[in-house]
Amino acid sequence: MTSNSVTFSLNGVDRTVDVPGAETLLDTLRDRLNLRGSKEGCLEGECGACTVLVDDRPIDACIYPTAACGGRRVRTVEGLSDGGVPSLLQRAMVRSGSIQCGFCTPGFVVAVTALLERESNPSRADIADAVNGNICRCTGYAQIIEAVQAVVADSLAAGTGQEVEA
Amino acid sequence: MSVTIGGTMDRTDGVAKVTGKAQYGVDHVEAGMAHAAVVRSPVPAGRLVGVDVGAARRMPEVVGVVTAADQPDSYGGWVLQDQRILASDQVRYEGEPIAIVVAETRAAAIAAAAAVRVEIEEWEAVTMAKAVAGEGHVIHPDWQSYVPTFGVDHPRWGNCACEVRAEPDGVDEAFARAAHVVEDTFTANRQYQAYLEPKAATASYADGRYILHTATQYPFNVRERVAQLMGVRLSDVRVVGKTIGGGFGAKLDGWVEPLAALAARVTGRTVQVRLSRAEDILTCPMRENATMTIRTALDDEGRMIGRQFTCEMDNGAYSGEMPWLASLPLTVIGAVYKLHGPMRAVCRLWYTNTPPTGAFRGVNGVYLYMAQEQHMDHIADTLGVDRREYRLRHLFEDGDASRTGQVLEQAGILRQAFDRLEERAPWQEILDNLGPNQGVGIAAAVWMTNPLPGEVTIKMSEDGTASLVTAANDNGSGAVSMGLTQIVASTLGLSEGDVRASMPDTDISGYDGGSQGSRTTAIVGTAALEASTKVREQLLATAAGLLEAHVDDIELVDGQARVKGSPSATVPLGQVAAAATFTGGAVTATSSYATPPVPFDAGCATGALFTTMCTPTYHVHLAVVEVDDVTGNVDVVRYVVVQDAGKVISPVGARGQVQGGIAQGIGYSLYESQRIGDDARLVERSLESYRLPLAVDIPDVEVVFLENPDPQTGLGAKGIGEAPIVLSAAAISTAVRHATGRTFNAIPITPEDVMFALQEAEEVR
Repeated sequence: MTSNSVTFSLNGVDRTVDVPGAETLLDTLRDRLNLRGSKEGCLEGECGACTVLVDDRPIDACIYPTAACGGRRVRTVEGLSDGGVPSLLQRAMVRSGSIQCGFCTPGFVVAVTALLERESNPSRADIADAVNGNICRCTGYAQIIEAVQAVVADSLAAGTGQEVEA
Repeated sequence: MSVTIGGTMDRTDGVAKVTGKAQYGVDHVEAGMAHAAVVRSPVPAGRLVGVDVGAARRMPEVVGVVTAADQPDSYGGWVLQDQRILASDQVRYEGEPIAIVVAETRAAAIAAAAAVRVEIEEWEAVTMAKAVAGEGHVIHPDWQSYVPTFGVDHPRWGNCACEVRAEPDGVDEAFARAAHVVEDTFTANRQYQAYLEPKAATASYADGRYILHTATQYPFNVRERVAQLMGVRLSDVRVVGKTIGGGFGAKLDGWVEPLAALAARVTGRTVQVRLSRAEDILTCPMRENATMTIRTALDDEGRMIGRQFTCEMDNGAYSGEMPWLASLPLTVIGAVYKLHGPMRAVCRLWYTNTPPTGAFRGVNGVYLYMAQEQHMDHIADTLGVDRREYRLRHLFEDGDASRTGQVLEQAGILRQAFDRLEERAPWQEILDNLGPNQGVGIAAAVWMTNPLPGEVTIKMSEDGTASLVTAANDNGSGAVSMGLTQIVASTLGLSEGDVRASMPDTDISGYDGGSQGSRTTAIVGTAALEASTKVREQLLATAAGLLEAHVDDIELVDGQARVKGSPSATVPLGQVAAAATFTGGAVTATSSYATPPVPFDAGCATGALFTTMCTPTYHVHLAVVEVDDVTGNVDVVRYVVVQDAGKVISPVGARGQVQGGIAQGIGYSLYESQRIGDDARLVERSLESYRLPLAVDIPDVEVVFLENPDPQTGLGAKGIGEAPIVLSAAAISTAVRHATGRTFNAIPITPEDVMFALQEAEEVR
């Protein structure tokens, strides 16, 4: 099997990996780079537990080839907290009951972070749409949406509009 | 600030989960760990002629290949010991494990598994329809030799894995004198638990024992299953829990753990078995498919004076816990509304050539209440009485008894729940304001709290924080990370972050009945309250000495012991704990609790293994739906839950249990459908074809908790987590019936079903 050398920015640090052409970004992250926050839920791009940001856009890492990441900016859940100190969004999710089993949570954190980076005042429908590629089997979604609404309300009140990445 | 009962606190595992640091079963890694791939039966039924592993053994990085010839000659099973780890002489369902390939990498194991040649003489598969009709081969020719795990066998024969019969006198007479007879038949499809983390387990074998790291809901049950199937003592197996990525009942029994244990024993390596989603769906013990007929005799005053109920349930190829559940109809049907006469019931569980079925939150309650409540609507319509009014007229009161003779002392809570619902969502107002194609459904239930024992040890650290050591585990509900933690912290006057819960370990903690049946906060919480109260007493005694005050005058607040009424006379709890430790030894206490047995009528039926609802809870739900007459889609526009919680310990968690349970119930009612073909194969085989609820599908559920404390549990808490899903199909199906004027006899009610019914109505017109 032929390998490709691929260099990309991972959570702000340039990384180079030699990967077979068909290797998914999820396998590269979990098995080569030991970032196990992104989860494998379905391997078919349905559940969203593996969601990461590639050039600020949420993608399903389980069906995204690592070879396509060359020169791009990849961010995972590990890169969205500040050395393990949760972001405002992450704190709000803990507080609001957004988390039960938590297996889907990294994917939701990533998908919502992308939403809040492009939209400072999303409606409830915007939020629900933004996580339409993410399945949560535990919570029934209401407390996740409320956490996002709380973060939006706080950041609008603070007048910054951009406080999601702590 | 001290944590309080009924106050909010962040779950103790929240930051780990939200930052991606939590370690799930699939994340477990050990030095020297090898990976397994399972060779599975490609057909639902047949004679296993041969397994050729020669080519697979020669593949790169292969450590070993395990076949039925390598497994001990022992059987296992939760209720009935009808399982082995690998199929030997015949295969009984598509996906049944036949061999295990162990390799240095998962990819190598999967590649080598594909090189295993399996020869099977395929037989015609037995579906439930065939089993009920007495057709097809006997799936377990040796059924008579199977041993009941709890020592008591139940009526069973051939492909019938369990039969429950209640045959009281007077049923035929009641129907003979009936003014009206109402009859309905219903079917329910399988429902996949669809937890986000596929099953995984890692096993090693050393020093004569097995060590398993697995994300299980019930470590002691997994210990038992592995011990049975490997033919060793319980204590020869140690199960260590990992963070659970959802289970909802499907991770209560040992399914992947015995495979990992056998592979570890044979290869001498630490072995991880991790299922792909496709394998997980194919082999998951889903909520069973079933058919039911309910027939009620009514007198000229509209009272129910007799009933017949039959229920056929699909056991799948092996029994798991299903024989327990076969008798649940006896406790459910006829337990909310007064039945002034006898009920004849026949419930049967059938072996089929399909994957074993099992527990899913609310078990068969979801379809039993769906049947009972649609039937109630049918009766009310027959009599020309308003549906809510009919229910209120015949509602159970304090002291009414279920069909198993269990007296429901607090059944009057049902009326309280209807009253609270009426305040929140006045029935007539809703009826008057329904839009086009809208309908409303209303449903009531009694449900239960699993009574199995649990144990808690509280250890004070010399810094004044507490460790909560228990084999109770948090399947995500927050029962440990909020509920138990909150009980301990509030008893000891500790703040958030000052109580830390252990992960379960069968070597360390006493027996625990697992995260099932809403039991943890109520039942293990009782043990947690007792143990932390004992520790509190030790701390108070030491503090009294340090503060030179009487023990009755000391309180524990905000991590300090202080003299009541004199806020300056304080000593930090760390100092108290350290003083107590170095003068009298570690400050620690252990308590355990199990719900005492509930009296019932032992003569109520034959074959009944599950006869009472411990710590019963009472529920009323209301759903408003809107039917799209172009697409057939049903939208749940309003959902109200009135739920008896006993005592709410963690409001954020309690609400999450209701919201999440209703979401699963909406899926069950309207689109989650695991169909089984006539060839006994599953039709839905991926998350693409098995449609799960998304954020856009689920309304904000309105929740009203009633607090009627349970007289037995420590804080009066009752089970919360399971009940919400129990009434969802009942409320939604009656609402769709109201919106369309058509009865839907099958769950889920898919858009195709709705379109078909609407077209039929159009043609009639």
